[in-house]
Amino acid sequence: MKDNMRNSIRKKPKSFLFFLSFLLLIVIVYSATVGPVDIPFRRVLVIILSEAPLIGRWFPTFEGTDRTIVVNLRLPRILLGVIVGSSLAVSGTSMQGIFKNPLASPFILGVSAGGGMGAAVGIYIGRSYYLLPLFAFVAALGTVILVFALGRVRGKTDIATLLLAGLAMNFLMSGLTNYIRYLSPPEKEFHLRILAFMFGTLNGSIWREAIISLPIMLIGICLVFAYSKDLNLFQMGEESAMQLGVEVERTKMIQLFTSSLLAATMVAFTGVIGFVGLMMPHAARLVVGPEHKKLIPTSALFGGIFLVICDSIARTIGEIPVGIVTVLLGSPFFIYLLVRNRGETGW
Amino acid sequence: MVELEVDSLVTGYNDKEILKNITFEVDKGDFLGIIGPNGSGKSTLIRALTKVMSPWNGSVKYDKKDIENMSRNEIAKNVSVVPQDTFINFPFTVRDVVLMGRSPYLGRFENPDKKDIKVAKEAMDVTNTLRFEDRSVRKLSGGELQRVVLARALTQRPELLLLDEATSQLDIGHKKEVMDTLKEKNDKENLGIISVHHNLNLAARYCNKILLLDEGEKHAYGKPEEVLTNSHLRAVYGVEAEVHEHPKDGSLYVSPVDKKIDTEKGEKTVHVVCGGGSTGKLLKNLVEKGYQVTAGVLNVMDSDLEKADFLDIEVVTEAPFSSITYDSHKKNVELIKKADIVIVTDFPVGEGNIRNLEAVKKGVTRETELILVDRENIGERDFTEENRGVKLYKEISREKDLKSVDSTVEIKRLL
Repeated sequence: MKDNMRNSIRKKPKSFLFFLSFLLLIVIVYSATVGPVDIPFRRVLVIILSEAPLIGRWFPTFEGTDRTIVVNLRLPRILLGVIVGSSLAVSGTSMQGIFKNPLASPFILGVSAGGGMGAAVGIYIGRSYYLLPLFAFVAALGTVILVFALGRVRGKTDIATLLLAGLAMNFLMSGLTNYIRYLSPPEKEFHLRILAFMFGTLNGSIWREAIISLPIMLIGICLVFAYSKDLNLFQMGEESAMQLGVEVERTKMIQLFTSSLLAATMVAFTGVIGFVGLMMPHAARLVVGPEHKKLIPTSALFGGIFLVICDSIARTIGEIPVGIVTVLLGSPFFIYLLVRNRGETGW
Repeated sequence: MVELEVDSLVTGYNDKEILKNITFEVDKGDFLGIIGPNGSGKSTLIRALTKVMSPWNGSVKYDKKDIENMSRNEIAKNVSVVPQDTFINFPFTVRDVVLMGRSPYLGRFENPDKKDIKVAKEAMDVTNTLRFEDRSVRKLSGGELQRVVLARALTQRPELLLLDEATSQLDIGHKKEVMDTLKEKNDKENLGIISVHHNLNLAARYCNKILLLDEGEKHAYGKPEEVLTNSHLRAVYGVEAEVHEHPKDGSLYVSPVDKKIDTEKGEKTVHVVCGGGSTGKLLKNLVEKGYQVTAGVLNVMDSDLEKADFLDIEVVTEAPFSSITYDSHKKNVELIKKADIVIVTDFPVGEGNIRNLEAVKKGVTRETELILVDRENIGERDFTEENRGVKLYKEISREKDLKSVDSTVEIKRLL
């Protein structure tokens, strides 16, 4: 990006956030037009507006399959995409802030492996669509709590121990998942479901999922945002942060728990969608800089926009798990950043 | 009025006791130096004074208030710290980092206002960092970053400033500048300062009280002349050192006892006229090649002197930051007269060390082999009035048949 453009964005962060929000709305409407059936942009817009509360009665109600596709199939999926994308991005921002490391991701404390294990158990015993998210959520959060317990030494959370505990639990949970897969019947359907969970998919999203996850996303993002100042100070080192007035232990616990809760909730509904939580904070930092008050809302909007675009692609090229698209699009971007910044440390 | 009281403080890491029964007081406006060998508990004490570590026993009190009953924000408004080193992974600007010093005064969603920015600008101004306030902290040198962190600490507007070897990464010019700034704030604004020093001479020069720690215990505590004595230094550091009084302002300085050179060996002697880190690896190379090396005149705390001390070279020394006195000048001339080879490195020449060139002019004889480093560019490093450095260079060159090299590295080829 050109330096002068970046400077003007940094000087007017509010206008930039407004622009991003507008872009998100456009992307949402556009995404509802693509898929196995193409629906014109205008018609989608009218359908959405007629469904909206308060202003809906001023627009003609559109009946027919297009309405069913948009309202019942695409909108909940797109909305869940926005919720998951922004939650993972903010979770990643918080993790990278607490770990002071640009390589931290929402899954660093074992959320993905734990969730995967829970999902595998859910699929193995229940085979019910309702049970799976609950199993995944409980296992993901349980894993994180176990990692916390292991990482706590004498009343303090030691970052290095925590990372190692996360790594160990990742291995343990992946091992258990593989064991369950080994025990499972050889039906293709069964393995496809586990696979879909591991790659992460938005296919089959329903309104209820979006409605349950929305408040969790809002509360989570607000909690992370409330600690923007502390996250900035954290980058000076934990000891210096303390000496600048930050209640370091409390901040660490609240941030790690909130970001894990966000990630666990999203994993429960969509499986493990990779790269969003790792990449979006980077992209946002490149544009608005490392200051968390700007970084957190920008990451959230980037995450939402990025995941909806990826899902539109996933839907168009034959319903593949969106996690495959995020990784395939995200890795080249990561490599680009790496090459661009080679020799110069930091982003 | 007592500002800080430390009473029988005991603390440590895990099960290991680091500080054992430390008691001292710091009054408003004191400049306390904490010295001691590696591992004597200096940094631990700084941590205990900011509640990074809690006391196992005893107490730390600010204005009679126990630190355990103070919130971190309350402490941060009164006490700020410049740590040994800082590593920042993300590209914050210098201004961002300095403004973080205002955070104890700001609410969770509050942004710094004009007054906060003014405080930050002032701090950047004193620390000489204002001119790169827009730069990313990731693109600063170690010394620049350290000054930014100092600006942040001043922006906290503390009553007491804690420095944990904060100047160890600075070059000699900035070291003096920063310490002088702090001393001024100490004198004029009554800012209390506690600073951990590896360098005894910095402590001696600036502090009005010194605490000497040894293996976590208070070995000595009091005025510099009470603490910096030959017997204390021998007991704690195990070295023989001389404690001198600075000729100008009467402050103390410590220098290791001169090592006598063994002239019986019959090897060639080389005298190096240098300063300000201009020797590079020259001294080491000369010693390794078996020359008897001497050097001078070097100020205490000059990095060339540190190298010379390390190599056990006889050096004519001068008090820190002061001009060459007649006594040292005379000693320097003597050494130059005795030397078979005299090397003049490309050090910057100012009013303070112009006598080094006069000594060369006076001391070299017909038999001396004289090597001048980077003779052509003397004009650029001559900061004396009326270009006396350039003139002396000319006179030296005229009288003698000499060798000239572009850099110290080339000397290897000549010898």
